Amino acid sequence: MKILRKTRFNGLRKAMQMSPEEIKEKIKKSELKGRGGSNFPTGEKIEMTMSREGVKKYIICNADEGEPGTFKDRFILKKNPLNVIEGMLIAARAINSEEGYIYLRGQYSYLKPNIEKAIQAAKKAMKKINITFNFHIIIGGGAYVCGDETAIIESIEGKRGNPRIKPPFPSRKGLFAMPTLVDNVETLANLPLIFTDKNWNDNWRLFCISGDVRKPGVYELPLGIPLKKAIQMARPKNKIKAIYFGCYGGCIPYDENLILDCEPIRKKGAMLASSLILVDETRNILDISAIISKFFEFESCGQCTPCREGNIRVLELLQKISLGKAKRKDLKLLEELCGVIGDTSLCGLGQSSVNHIMKEFKYFKNEFQEKLK
Amino acid sequence: MKITLNGKKIKCEEEQTILQVAKKQGIKIPTLCYSERFHPKSVCRVCLVEVNGKMMPSCSTKVKERMVIDTESQRVLKARKINTELLISEHKEHLTQTKKHELCVLAKDVGVRQTRFSTIGKIHNPNEGIGIARDDNKCILCGKCIQACEMQNVNAIDFAYRSYHTKITPAFEGRIDDSVCIHCGQCILACPVNAIYEKDSIKDVEKALKNKHVFVQTAPAVRASLGEEFGLEPGTLVTGKMVSALRKLGFKEVFDTQFGADLTIMEEATELVERVKKNKNLPMITSCCPAWIKYIEHFYPELLNHVSTCKSPHEMFGAVLKNYYIENSRIKKKNAVVVSIMPCTAKKFEAQRKELNKDVDYVLTTRELARMIKNHRINFNNLKEDNFDAPLGISSGAATLFGATGGVTEAALRTAYELETGKDLEILEFNQIRGLKNVKEGNIMINGHDLTFVVVNGLHYAKELLEQIKKGECKYDFIEVMSCPGGCIGGGGQPIPTTKEIIKKRMQALYVNDENKIIRRSYENPAIKLLYKEYLGRPLSEKAEELLHTKYTKRGI
Amino acid sequence: MSSDEIGMIIDEVIKGPDGKPLLLPLLYKIQEKFGYISKNTAHEIAKKTKIPFSTIYGVITFYDMLYTEPKGKHIIRICNSPSCYLNNLVTLIKFLELLLNIKSGQTTKDKKISLEIVSCLGCCDKSPAMMINDQVYGNLNEHKIKKIISRLR
Repeated sequence: MKILRKTRFNGLRKAMQMSPEEIKEKIKKSELKGRGGSNFPTGEKIEMTMSREGVKKYIICNADEGEPGTFKDRFILKKNPLNVIEGMLIAARAINSEEGYIYLRGQYSYLKPNIEKAIQAAKKAMKKINITFNFHIIIGGGAYVCGDETAIIESIEGKRGNPRIKPPFPSRKGLFAMPTLVDNVETLANLPLIFTDKNWNDNWRLFCISGDVRKPGVYELPLGIPLKKAIQMARPKNKIKAIYFGCYGGCIPYDENLILDCEPIRKKGAMLASSLILVDETRNILDISAIISKFFEFESCGQCTPCREGNIRVLELLQKISLGKAKRKDLKLLEELCGVIGDTSLCGLGQSSVNHIMKEFKYFKNEFQEKLK
Repeated sequence: MKITLNGKKIKCEEEQTILQVAKKQGIKIPTLCYSERFHPKSVCRVCLVEVNGKMMPSCSTKVKERMVIDTESQRVLKARKINTELLISEHKEHLTQTKKHELCVLAKDVGVRQTRFSTIGKIHNPNEGIGIARDDNKCILCGKCIQACEMQNVNAIDFAYRSYHTKITPAFEGRIDDSVCIHCGQCILACPVNAIYEKDSIKDVEKALKNKHVFVQTAPAVRASLGEEFGLEPGTLVTGKMVSALRKLGFKEVFDTQFGADLTIMEEATELVERVKKNKNLPMITSCCPAWIKYIEHFYPELLNHVSTCKSPHEMFGAVLKNYYIENSRIKKKNAVVVSIMPCTAKKFEAQRKELNKDVDYVLTTRELARMIKNHRINFNNLKEDNFDAPLGISSGAATLFGATGGVTEAALRTAYELETGKDLEILEFNQIRGLKNVKEGNIMINGHDLTFVVVNGLHYAKELLEQIKKGECKYDFIEVMSCPGGCIGGGGQPIPTTKEIIKKRMQALYVNDENKIIRRSYENPAIKLLYKEYLGRPLSEKAEELLHTKYTKRGI
Repeated sequence: MSSDEIGMIIDEVIKGPDGKPLLLPLLYKIQEKFGYISKNTAHEIAKKTKIPFSTIYGVITFYDMLYTEPKGKHIIRICNSPSCYLNNLVTLIKFLELLLNIKSGQTTKDKKISLEIVSCLGCCDKSPAMMINDQVYGNLNEHKIKKIISRLR
């Protein structure tokens, strides 16, 4: 796999010969996009963080991989943590930062020794190149919402992981009110590759395929291939009915002719990130829906009204439908409620918590209607 | 800059929020978790508006050049309605409440008469403290009480748990009385659904009124705010009507805490002069705010020697009444009950301090008094004006000032000056320490000593001074601290709403009251003079120390 | 837990720019040593760090992996993600509950094992999965679970 190639600090060495401006330009030109789900251009984020000069800046490696069906960051941190650390150092050089935090999700705490080892190795290399950088590892407390870039900051600061209102964005006012660059593990692991591999391009992504398949796992695939090809690799057990893009990305009905790329899937109404949970024809969509809604109900930080009070009602209505006790008006209410939760929640978690239902309504509404009284 | 607001092109200033701009344009946007006092958290999601096609909270979103804002689109209206419905789903009783609060008003404004969502019925036991109580069954988790508590640097409560299980509570769901809560009641003023309220003492008082000889005293701030509960303009002085109402309620003798305030000034000014002479325990800090006292006992117990040993005015009053006054009357001590009408919830806590011997039996807030008057179906606005009883109802203008921030200092200086120089101050108003600035300082030459003083308006600003004292870097001789913004007129027992604008009006009323008094210096109060002559001797005498001074408890956090 | 011990742990933990220890690593260290964060311990932390007591409680209860009450020596966290759900999770939870004779969220009488249903463990390539303390166990079935649990006892 490309992502596992070890660059042994050659990327950093190359970056050291460049000015921060040049590093930023190179990353911008590479068109690397955030791999934590936002797809936001990394170079632009670095540029924004550079803009406030003369103050202390921080880098946060977001290793709070909590999206159900996603396990690629775990995979990278296990097999190639050194590149992640090197990526942090390259980004640090660009934004002129000397301190960084790796926020490792609590359920991955067993990866801490691995990361510590990589940091030790990095320290030796840093000495030779003559740079200083302070690494800290913070173990998360088991709250999905901390994967949000502002919640992660709150959490490191020792607070409840409530997402902040934006603006200000972390690039201006982040950790301890200082400009902060928050990047995902896979994003950072790609940085040294950009500096060492002339043929590197943003198309190769990691996908985590799981669910009703015989060979679940991490697959490195280029965008643009037929979706069918990707799915065949994981060997579905039966005919696939729907694909869920994690819990937050929504779902689409399986279509053999679909291309694995952001745009075609966005056109279908879903968001392509790393997770593909395949659901086959033996399943009832309503059951999956309830499981996902339960997840969001449980993981809501509880700050804002629609997410806190809304998601519990969504769950109630789904259960009512499942039990065959719901009427048409309940279904209508559910639809209306989901619209408002998605439209008015404070953070990404709340806004995307109903994506799946909106898409289930679009593509599998009959399964809901069949259950009505 | 130019923006489009509801289809109209308008000009507006930069760095303003959409909410502020809309308000100026006469467009009403409903709010719930927003407060002018705190940094907006934008969590209730009812002030949402459509900004360039996106839903944004108007309380925290700032206007930008060429922004297109719609505050009343179908999408906005629907969202507001659903979010209000969600808030009410667990609290259906909010819809039928007789006393209208912000959520009731909001529900009416957005057209929610019922909620389509079921109720799970979380049941909590109300957390009742000595001064304040909170009922989580009513709480909608807007978090304003936490912000109010944080503003006071107290942090007795915070959110706990997450998701639907989120609640607001002291640590480990402990009792309010076991926490560092100072009972200032600022959270009560912040709460939009009356989920926090004063510990009710009406029942106890009504019972006492039936079979005891009940004395009542009223704090200066109450006369400047009680009228609001009966629809009068903020800043209307209702002293006479208040006295009438109290008599109608059955209080045997109606006295004035301002008498106690004059007494406090005599003792406190003397104490200050003594400390300055001996250069001991300076700066001296005022002690009339019971929330402040509890604060320093918790957070800075090592600085308690700086606090004046004077009891607060209503406690001095209680001590004088239960000893001096009763001794000269035919009332038996066990039949005498003293009730204080206070703008304050912390006074409820203060009244049960062991060292104060129950000299004050019950404390009612301004709101509770209003409720009592309404319960008795007394038509307040039609009452005739009446006067306080003598002698404990006689007071100076200086005592009136106790109700507002800076007032204690101003009153104390008028007397301290006389004590040291033997002369009367010519210009009585200390304008530099009036008004609503957070920290106000000044100085006055008294007999060649340059006495420096500072007034802290709101507990939030006390911390820095306390740290300075700790480091020995504090340059002042005298510090006044009032926990509530504006002083007692902004107290936690005052009518709701209590906003900055309303506080200003109440403050103005007190200043006018002072100016209109014939006696404006505490040492000129004839009743006070008589008390010292007949009973106490002089300020800080043994008898005065015994009755009018107190000691404090190191509490810690 | 003595006040000195807590003080020593506070000294070890990294500090923020205001000189106060970062709460999350501090709480973890305390929990590592004592299994949970008791009311007294949390109060002691508040006194020593000047971080409000209520804030500390708010933080502990926000995070699933911090506890205010003692837990079993082994904490079983079984993954409740859609991927695990699609791989027979529901049956396995019932099986586990029956085997341990507790409901999820509870601890066995002998204080040896606590059972928790948690959000995705990030092991969907080994669904259904669970963690026992720091160890992941994947591709579970009833037989495998029985063997793993018997080793704990």
